[in-house]
Amino acid sequence: MARGAGSRWRLLAGLALPLLLAAALAGWALQARWHRDALARALLRTYPQDIDANPALVRFADEEAKPLFARNCAVCHGAQMQGNPLIGAPALVGGHWLWGNGSVFQIERILLYGIRSGQPQALNVTEMPAFGLMGRLTAGQVHELVQYLMKLNHRPYDAETANAGQTLFYSQLYGCYDCHGTDARGEADYGAPNLTANYWNNGGSEQDIYDSIFYGRHRVMPAWQGRLSLEQIRALAVYLHGLSHGSAQGSVQGSAERG
Amino acid sequence: MAVPHTSMHPVTSASRRSRRLLPQLSRWASPAQRRVALPVVGMISGLLVAGIGLFHHAARDLTQVPPGYVALVNQQGVLMSDFISQTATETEEPFTQTTAAQRAHVLHEMIDKELLVQRALALDLPETTEEVRTTMADAVDAQAAAPTQAVQPTEAQLRAYYNAHRDRYSSQGTMTVLNLVLHVGGYQNADQTVAQAQADAVEAVYQLRSGAAVSYVMEHFGLVDASPQYDSQQLDFAAKLHLGAQLYQVATMLGSGEVSDPIVQNDGVHVLVMQQRQPAAVEDFPNARAQVYNDYRIALTDQAARQNLKFLRSQAQILLAPGQSE
Repeated sequence: MARGAGSRWRLLAGLALPLLLAAALAGWALQARWHRDALARALLRTYPQDIDANPALVRFADEEAKPLFARNCAVCHGAQMQGNPLIGAPALVGGHWLWGNGSVFQIERILLYGIRSGQPQALNVTEMPAFGLMGRLTAGQVHELVQYLMKLNHRPYDAETANAGQTLFYSQLYGCYDCHGTDARGEADYGAPNLTANYWNNGGSEQDIYDSIFYGRHRVMPAWQGRLSLEQIRALAVYLHGLSHGSAQGSVQGSAERG
Repeated sequence: MAVPHTSMHPVTSASRRSRRLLPQLSRWASPAQRRVALPVVGMISGLLVAGIGLFHHAARDLTQVPPGYVALVNQQGVLMSDFISQTATETEEPFTQTTAAQRAHVLHEMIDKELLVQRALALDLPETTEEVRTTMADAVDAQAAAPTQAVQPTEAQLRAYYNAHRDRYSSQGTMTVLNLVLHVGGYQNADQTVAQAQADAVEAVYQLRSGAAVSYVMEHFGLVDASPQYDSQQLDFAAKLHLGAQLYQVATMLGSGEVSDPIVQNDGVHVLVMQQRQPAAVEDFPNARAQVYNDYRIALTDQAARQNLKFLRSQAQILLAPGQSE
């Protein structure tokens, strides 16, 4: 009898130990899950402009966003976020924002509704007209404008041609300054880029710039509402905002490697 | 102990394994041990089920506002992002500089609007109101067409489009034309036959071509002016509406100052006097290119909308009542 009772206790102990271990693991996972959910809720409940003040939320958003970026965004913007001039996908590092100033709120709006995506709330008030294709400027005039832009960006240029381009830039007939500003520094409300920063979404060679003016640009950013959750969109917005303002956790290289 | 093989069916390797396992279990655990083991297995299973339940996404609790929203109106959320955007738009100030009262006012309006939209859906306005249906259909078209606009056309594509649709790039012709009618059996000669009227018209045409005044010829032959009351230049399409296809066809062949041959129609014999004519002219590509560019992009939009509809139709079940066709 004693031997039978002893083996029964050994059996019970042998079963109870893995059970306790499993319960402890489950408890730990549950706690981690609750903590993550609490952070996710806090991320969404906090006003976008206030998130920067909470490092725990920023860290959480960064960790959530890195794999999301690799899966959904890197195909256009590049794994290193360097952009792709062939499709006009801008680099997301460097702090150059075509629309708005790169706040969490503005990035989130773009992610939610896109740019020229066909969504009624998308950013779609303007596009770069095809001045050459439409016959509003001749090839020669486009060339003159390109030389003026070279001059504005402190690159080699032909002075006489650039002067002619400057006249065109400020001509009421063509109205380049109307969108890009009288100082050519762009207008973020219209998505008109700064033409003095030597930073070009569609390529910065003379031929690329010529093509932008002659053929125009009408780039589309899809709307992600419905494809990504609100939490994922907010996390990406915080992450991209952090990268462009130098506060995101981990390097771009790191994010690409993780993805 | 080997289990005797009693089945006539081929013994699979799985069934062989299970038959080896059962005797091993009975050797490993006594009946008392098995009585303990069974509840433990049950507990583990219960824990597993509970664990899956805990980590599985539960249905959204709609008794409170979900994160990312600022209000819940009949289970429909008002997005925080939309609220911030709307507040900034209405107050014309950055959201951070708006007061609590301003935010409350905007939220109140957004909730009102959401209630009205929900009421509209309850009233089935998308099915019953043409304006709502048109807006919805246009929005779907716009979404379908958005990607097509991302790629700018090339010069060659524009030229090809122009060549394929050259007739669209004609300037409208204009004409100022008198449409004189000799009604058969008119007020001057009630017994007049068609042949007699035709002969009179030929004579009238002769005199007009010889330089006689229109007013004199009209009075002499009993011709009536059937032109529109206003004696002004008309675009070709307007002249076609007024003259009808047959007379318009004749009119387009006349130059300024020319007079047509008599044309017999049901209401009498017509004579057209072309006072001034500017024929339609086809614009060449350089002059038409802005219009060609716009038309090309519109054509892409239309094509995307058609393809979208084709897809929707392929996914839809459409039944037509007997005798109906589309």
